Amino acid sequence: MTATFIGVRHHSPACARLVADTITALRPAYVLVEGPADMNPRLGELLLGHDLPIAVYTGYRDAERRHGSWAPLCDYSPEWTALTAGRDVGAEVRFIDLPAWHPALADVRNRYADAEARYAEVTERLCRDFAVDNPDALWDHLFEIEPADGLADRLAAYFDLVRGDARTAPDDEAREAYMAHWVRAAVADAGDRPVVVVTGGFHRPALVRFAEEGDRTWPELPQPPGDAVVGSYLVPYSFRRLDAFDGYQSGMPSPAYYQHLWESGPHEAARGLTEAVTARLRGRGQPVSTADLIAARATAEGLAAVRGHVHPARVDVLDGLASALVGEALDTPLPWATGGRIRPGGHPVIVEMVAALSGDRVGRLHPSTPLPPLVHAVADRLRATGLGGSGEVRLDLGKPADLDRSRLLHRLRVLAIPGVVRDSGPGPGGDPVPAEQWTLTDSDDRLPALIEAGGYGVDPEEAAAAVLAERIAATPGDMDVLAGLLFDAALCGVGALTGQVLDDLARAVGAAADLGSLGRTLAVALAMWRHDGLFHTGGGPAFGALIAAAVRRALWLAEGVRGGPAPADPKRIGAMAAVRDALVHAAAPLGLDTTAALGVADRVAACHDAPPDLRGAAFGLGWSLRGTAAADPGRAVRGTFTPALAGDWLAGLFALAREEVLHTPGMLELLDELVEAMTDDGFLIALPALRQAFGYFPPRERHLIAARLVRLRTGGTSGPDLMRLDATPELVAAGMRLDERVDTALRREGLITS
Amino acid sequence: MNDHVQRPPAEVRYADELARLRDADDGARPPGWALSLRAARRFVIGDEKLGVTRKFVGDPSLIDRALVTLATSRGLMLVGEPGTAKSLLSELLAAAVSGTSTLTIQGGAATTEDQIKYSWNYALLVAEGPSPRSLVAAPLLRGMAEGRVVRFEEITRCPLEVQDCLLSPLSDRVLAIPELTGPDAMVFAREGFSVIATANTRDRGVNEMSAALKRRFNFETVFPIADFGTELSLVEAEATALLQRSGVGALPHRDVLEVLVRAFRELRQGQTARGDATDRLSGVMSTAEAVSVAHAVGLRGWFLRGEPGTAADLVTCLAGTAAKDSPDDLAKLRRYLEHQGSGPLYDARHLLPG
Repeated sequence: MTATFIGVRHHSPACARLVADTITALRPAYVLVEGPADMNPRLGELLLGHDLPIAVYTGYRDAERRHGSWAPLCDYSPEWTALTAGRDVGAEVRFIDLPAWHPALADVRNRYADAEARYAEVTERLCRDFAVDNPDALWDHLFEIEPADGLADRLAAYFDLVRGDARTAPDDEAREAYMAHWVRAAVADAGDRPVVVVTGGFHRPALVRFAEEGDRTWPELPQPPGDAVVGSYLVPYSFRRLDAFDGYQSGMPSPAYYQHLWESGPHEAARGLTEAVTARLRGRGQPVSTADLIAARATAEGLAAVRGHVHPARVDVLDGLASALVGEALDTPLPWATGGRIRPGGHPVIVEMVAALSGDRVGRLHPSTPLPPLVHAVADRLRATGLGGSGEVRLDLGKPADLDRSRLLHRLRVLAIPGVVRDSGPGPGGDPVPAEQWTLTDSDDRLPALIEAGGYGVDPEEAAAAVLAERIAATPGDMDVLAGLLFDAALCGVGALTGQVLDDLARAVGAAADLGSLGRTLAVALAMWRHDGLFHTGGGPAFGALIAAAVRRALWLAEGVRGGPAPADPKRIGAMAAVRDALVHAAAPLGLDTTAALGVADRVAACHDAPPDLRGAAFGLGWSLRGTAAADPGRAVRGTFTPALAGDWLAGLFALAREEVLHTPGMLELLDELVEAMTDDGFLIALPALRQAFGYFPPRERHLIAARLVRLRTGGTSGPDLMRLDATPELVAAGMRLDERVDTALRREGLITS
Repeated sequence: MNDHVQRPPAEVRYADELARLRDADDGARPPGWALSLRAARRFVIGDEKLGVTRKFVGDPSLIDRALVTLATSRGLMLVGEPGTAKSLLSELLAAAVSGTSTLTIQGGAATTEDQIKYSWNYALLVAEGPSPRSLVAAPLLRGMAEGRVVRFEEITRCPLEVQDCLLSPLSDRVLAIPELTGPDAMVFAREGFSVIATANTRDRGVNEMSAALKRRFNFETVFPIADFGTELSLVEAEATALLQRSGVGALPHRDVLEVLVRAFRELRQGQTARGDATDRLSGVMSTAEAVSVAHAVGLRGWFLRGEPGTAADLVTCLAGTAAKDSPDDLAKLRRYLEHQGSGPLYDARHLLPG
């Protein structure tokens, strides 16, 4: 007896029904399911009676590689119905795919993502032929809405076509070879009883081919390398994470809709969808009139008829609702037409519609599910480092043992485990103090928090890395938060940030709109890149790429700042300084384009619409990078020396090029001359900004300046003598006002002329 | 004198395709329609088997929604950036649904009710008094009486009170002619009558439509072409046709067109291909504009130097088409070119005038 191969799309209700029906009808000896083979001894855990969706999470770490991935299951997953139906008919159920840690799955975050999405050419052609927008609509059109007759044949034809003669990646081939091995062994073992094989449809053609000949013994389970830490266990999952509109590498979109479809069929699902959207919109105070609903319904029915659907499909209902409810131009295309992640800037009605489709169901594990390994790992580590109890802990980060303990505590802090509070220590902005003060309190809340955090990884390091990665992905554009998260990553010692996280970071940097906060991120990243040895981030190249992106973006933003005179913005000046530092320290190794940066600096310095602090900073940037100023600094200083601008301009200049100012002969004298020439009123206007500008000199250099000025003016008296004042400042000010009034009166009467 | 029309209407240009579709049409037709919904859809998005060309590049679902809207009692409002082929789409839809696309009202500041509903032949009016003979029907009246689709271009450029004369034809499907008496005084819309209006989002005029009128339309937003390859081929094909008509012997190289289309897309979306946010120009950066720039680039190269247009020609043409008279846009364009870092546009950045 040969095997019956069912090629499915993961999370497809139609396929789930087909799988369940086939298994019930055939009553096979074996049901083989695409899933991690290392879970086979623990299949009982899966069938304890959880509230779906749940997922099998596998975490892996060795010296070079770290990987975490999920195999999500929901009520209408074909894999799930294969498990339950197989158990009900008394078949031997086995997962037959390589374990999630296997190198062949190194790029896979979600085992049940659509494999065919990687080979899009054929699906695109099919979409054109069927005149639908994208593969999701095509899938509904061909399989979900259609009656179930002949579904198995249609699925097989579809996946044969999609697979076609696409050249598959070696990773897919390794998985298929392993799965085929299982199939051969099961068929041999089952004798003349049937075997049902449930795998992703993309793999089906290859499996049918490979299952013919080869070794018929049971395959061995690959063993992880000796130094690796591997853990697989169940975690609760949610519809939000299942939804392709939200996540990377997801399968079918709109889980709430398909749950409805699974439970009560396409007609009811369409109704339920309309109801859910209406309820959500009305809940938000958006008017949805009965006339609108009638129009939406009529349009949906019309669309279903045009597209040849017996019942309105998902896109028919959505199109109908969008036609009826959106009464203005949209800024972004409809998300169900384009597919993929929902883009920012969507119409509020559309956003609510997508949320209604996605649903908010969250899975719950059965109480007798074994505790996630994180709970044990944390307890062990706390005991091993002597941090088990309550009390205050002082750590010296210079000592390796204390650094280790600090990292553990930081990981727990990032995981939001109660009772771990840092009172003081290094922060992203301040000076790098090498000591930390912590307060630990043991509490009963820790266990639930740890169980919840268990979904992120097997040990604190992995979990903290996953949490940070998630937060980075969730805060696009907010550079201040991002800088903090980067610093947290360094404190936690989570090692290299990889793959998706770096993409997210680069995207956030590329979209940054505020120069000041971008500068902060750049400064943090640069510090971590330069002091890699100190922070042990191991992320040299990763941070390098981030720095390069941030420099490029900062220069782009600097050139776009307009608006003329404005008070100096220290954050903006700091950003320019960070750009300068990056160019000075990292231009060669990271391949930063210094010429382009100088071009930007010169243009900004010469642009009269730019704020004075930025112009000064740009001028200073050019001066300090070249070693000589692009234009005559004397002329530049004179050109900006009006009371309202001078201080702000100088603040930028001093922040970037104070060395050059100090060591250029005649600069100080020139400044002295210009300040001297100001009227008293003008001086009072300029004073606060000037104070701020000279604040960029450290005290020693300020003293040096003062000493030189005193020498210049008095020819010898020591500075401190001049600084000492016998009268109160108020008295001096009153005296000066009196002098001024006398002068004015004398001038009015023509008694003095100057 | 020649009798070549510069641009015949869609039903004439594609008469043979329409005929083939009509012959092969076995679907149910909504009352008053010349084609079934499915055949009308095939007319717009193409059907290789029947030799029907693809005339509109965009999501097929947009066409579905538009056609279904026309079959219901609401009007169809096509909105979008200028140059996204809204008018072409409305012409094609009208030709497919009623077999004629010439019942068109061009909206503008000077559009009056006369041009929409009806006016009079004053000589006859003075001689005979008001009668159906002296009545001059405008597109709306004709569309209602004959049961055809009426196109209203740039509706939001009309004054509000003129727009609102569509209210009762759209909701009650009747137009009153108070000057006439008896049965002629009311023109009831026949099956097949509907309205396709277009409006562009740049005029910010959509906001000025009254809520009552908005309610009688389904809005469909037409987006710029989403796929780079599709837009590039379209620009290439259109520019080639234009250049051949202008007698240019050498077409710009494909890489110049690629640079052009990429620059247009980036400046339109305010986002580079890599995903960095950039400036969005306030000027129109549509595919149609890209075609006209490609045309200009080809003309410059050929007639000034006798060779294909280059990236340098492109930069020179960009200022006139992209920035127009806005110094802000010119500054943004300069910043965009400067931050290219390398490539043909960067090398030619000094040619940007001003």
